[in-house]
Amino acid sequence: MSSLLPFVVIGLVNGSVYGLTAMGLVLTYKTTGVFNFAHGAVATGAAYLFFELEVRRGLPWPVALPLTVVLIAVLGGPVMELIGRRLRQVPVATQVVATVGLLLAIQGTVIAVFGASSQPFPAFLPAGTLHLPGVVVGVDQLVVLVAALLLALALFVFFRRSRLGLSMQAVVDDPDLLGLAGTSAVRVRTVAWVIGLATAALSGVLLGPSVGLNAPLLTLLVVQAFGAAAVGGFASLPAVYGGGLALGIVAAITTRFVPDFHWLSGVPGSLPFLFLLGLLVLAPGRLGRRTAPARRPARSERPLPSWLQRGGPVVVLAVALAVPAIVGTRLPIYTSGAAYVVLFASLALLVRTSGQTSLCHAGFAAVGASSFSHFAHGAGIPWPVALLLAGLIAVPVGALVAIPAIRLSGLYLALATFGFGVLLQQLVYRTRFMFGRSGPLSVPRPAGADGDVAYYYVVLAVAVLACVAVAVVTSHRLGRLLRALSDSPLALRAQGVDVNVTRVLVFCLSAFLAAIAGALLAALSGSVDVAPFDPFQSLLYLAVLAIAGRGQLRAAVMAAVLLAVVPAYLADGGVLAVYEPIAFGLGAVAVALTEGSRDELAALVTRGAARGRARLARGPAAARLQAAR
Amino acid sequence: MTGLVAESLVVRYGGLVAVDDVSLAAPAGRITGLIGPNGAGKTTIFNACSGLVRPASGRVLLDDVDITGMSLPRRAQRGLGRTFQRIELWDSLSVRDNVELGREGLLAGSSPWRQLVARRTDAREAQAAADAALETCGLQDLADRPAGALSTGARRLVELARVLAGGGSMLLLDEPSSGLDDSESGRFADILRGAVADRGLGVLLVEHHMGLVLDVCDHLYVLDFGRLLFEGTPAQTVASDEVRAAYLGTAA
Repeated sequence: MSSLLPFVVIGLVNGSVYGLTAMGLVLTYKTTGVFNFAHGAVATGAAYLFFELEVRRGLPWPVALPLTVVLIAVLGGPVMELIGRRLRQVPVATQVVATVGLLLAIQGTVIAVFGASSQPFPAFLPAGTLHLPGVVVGVDQLVVLVAALLLALALFVFFRRSRLGLSMQAVVDDPDLLGLAGTSAVRVRTVAWVIGLATAALSGVLLGPSVGLNAPLLTLLVVQAFGAAAVGGFASLPAVYGGGLALGIVAAITTRFVPDFHWLSGVPGSLPFLFLLGLLVLAPGRLGRRTAPARRPARSERPLPSWLQRGGPVVVLAVALAVPAIVGTRLPIYTSGAAYVVLFASLALLVRTSGQTSLCHAGFAAVGASSFSHFAHGAGIPWPVALLLAGLIAVPVGALVAIPAIRLSGLYLALATFGFGVLLQQLVYRTRFMFGRSGPLSVPRPAGADGDVAYYYVVLAVAVLACVAVAVVTSHRLGRLLRALSDSPLALRAQGVDVNVTRVLVFCLSAFLAAIAGALLAALSGSVDVAPFDPFQSLLYLAVLAIAGRGQLRAAVMAAVLLAVVPAYLADGGVLAVYEPIAFGLGAVAVALTEGSRDELAALVTRGAARGRARLARGPAAARLQAAR
Repeated sequence: MTGLVAESLVVRYGGLVAVDDVSLAAPAGRITGLIGPNGAGKTTIFNACSGLVRPASGRVLLDDVDITGMSLPRRAQRGLGRTFQRIELWDSLSVRDNVELGREGLLAGSSPWRQLVARRTDAREAQAAADAALETCGLQDLADRPAGALSTGARRLVELARVLAGGGSMLLLDEPSSGLDDSESGRFADILRGAVADRGLGVLLVEHHMGLVLDVCDHLYVLDFGRLLFEGTPAQTVASDEVRAAYLGTAA
């Protein structure tokens, strides 16, 4: 038992930090109505900023730590309030896109400035140890534990007792009413953002030394706060803190047993996501019932001109067929582009048509890539059959993800799918069913088509097939059901449709296509390992699809070009590839922020154009008449 | 007996008995009204009939078949259609698509396979049903507009047309006049009466607005505090002292 105590201490310390940062996250969410996916990225940014100030510039930590927290919270708070204010008027799926974009942008910036490689983060708190009965505790551990506990208490008392804290509870319910009572809702929400960002920044700095400077790892670590937030039902602050503590302790104790039981190795890191997924799926009743979102304004989906509708695909296909003759040695870029068309078609089917969210598409692609290697390379199954089988293997995985989709929607579905993606990576990627532990898997190209040009045409053919399949599905019955599902699942049920079946169908179809895309990409490079299928890739896919414009297949093609083709050319032109996630992230934020106003803008432009034409034809008075109509 | 029958329904929310031993019948070919003051349990009974709330005891029968344990989609498959007080339309679809899906939903929902693949005759069947329902509700001119762009009055009619296109034998209408002005609810009443006469439907209607209720209903049930207070024709109901006391709060 005594051998467990040091682990309990580590768990208490880490858990206390998780708990504090989760409290900040939940407090912001409750007050502003916007769930900040970028919470972990803010923590990462803070850790790097502190590193810069303390290690590189040599400031003493008692100066550098408050400076970091204050800089991030006070500068970031008003910015987040500006962003959040607009986000409250858009559908939840768009909010998710915006904060996911923010995550990508912050993490991208950190990597662009400090480099992608992990660096050691020297401990800064006083060393020394205390000998308590049965266990030796570091002074630094004690400091972190006490500080986190005191801050958590302070936060709780502030929220429950102070006038501003009480205003925070009121502001979500009715900001206008609060305004009538003489309290500025903007100020209240800004303070909430400041608090949320401060806890994020603090957790990044405090956890930094034990993790090292590693942006994705730090971000993921603080994303663990999502698990703690789930324990508190995304509402109760003490329960959230308790959840953080419990997670920290259980994770640390599990670490103790990893040397004895090897299969546990992925468990400590994935515990919060097990909690998150388990609580979301098994006890959705615990989640505070949020007020129904405002009705989505009817979008005036102006159809494209018919010549473009019919001609567009033909032109794209003609260009695609001619690509090998034009681009020379850059062909593999286009091959990957064609494979990404399949991936984005699969994501667009889910996100655009059925109005659901998936943050685990990289996981589906990983399943496809690894099982394709097992089939085509390992078992020697003929290439096309193996490709089909790789897609089919992902179908039950898709059905599994559909379980949260049945019980959840909006934010919670996004969180659950992200949790699922992380769990897949932590617990399954390294098993022998997927990538195993013995290095990259070999992935063959089809016999007789292993040249770059021939393989390009193979991938292109699959992409065209996939697009046709998606177009056929969405223009027929299932497409209508999915669009109806996106608008009102309740009405669809009242008209006799078991919408759970619909959801399972679309997730299965989407997973099937994503897995095929994964297999195609793997065969392009000839070997494949876990790196391209990091859970953060799923976030990138969602952001890129968001900025790819309207439509479904059109957006899929655009997204593939944006992700696969454009960066390659920019890199040739001397623009560093590290700026790519920043651009995609900021782009997604911008798209989300302008979602409500884009139609107005388009209407303004068309009306102006009509007026111009009429003015040319019949003079200014007629033009005004025309425009007014 | 055909139509919808509720037998001794009891619904509890935690310790609160929202509906206490209520029985009612809404036979085919008639419009039956369910009225009562706020919090009387109207919507709860309504939801128990349509499958959104599970009763603690009692049974719900549709055309003599026990549907108490069935889900909302399965009840719809058996011919029970409903509308919602907060209108639930598919806003990004056109009015015609909304109404066609009223029938196509029932066809698609018959099996998982049918959600993916339609029978060859399905499209024609859905179109014909939609044409008839749009005509009944006078919506032909709005057919190509997106449903989200319409006024509340027109949206109520689209919801009615959709459930009519489904071709069920029994309609549950949840406060159809809420959000409508007098002329709009008068028009709704005319259309509803016409549809019932033409198609021989049964209708159960929950309503606040006494004008509409007295205008269209053949038979009324009055609820108060989760119990059945009175039943009778509209004329009898208006004349009843008990009902007046419940609504106006005076000891009659």
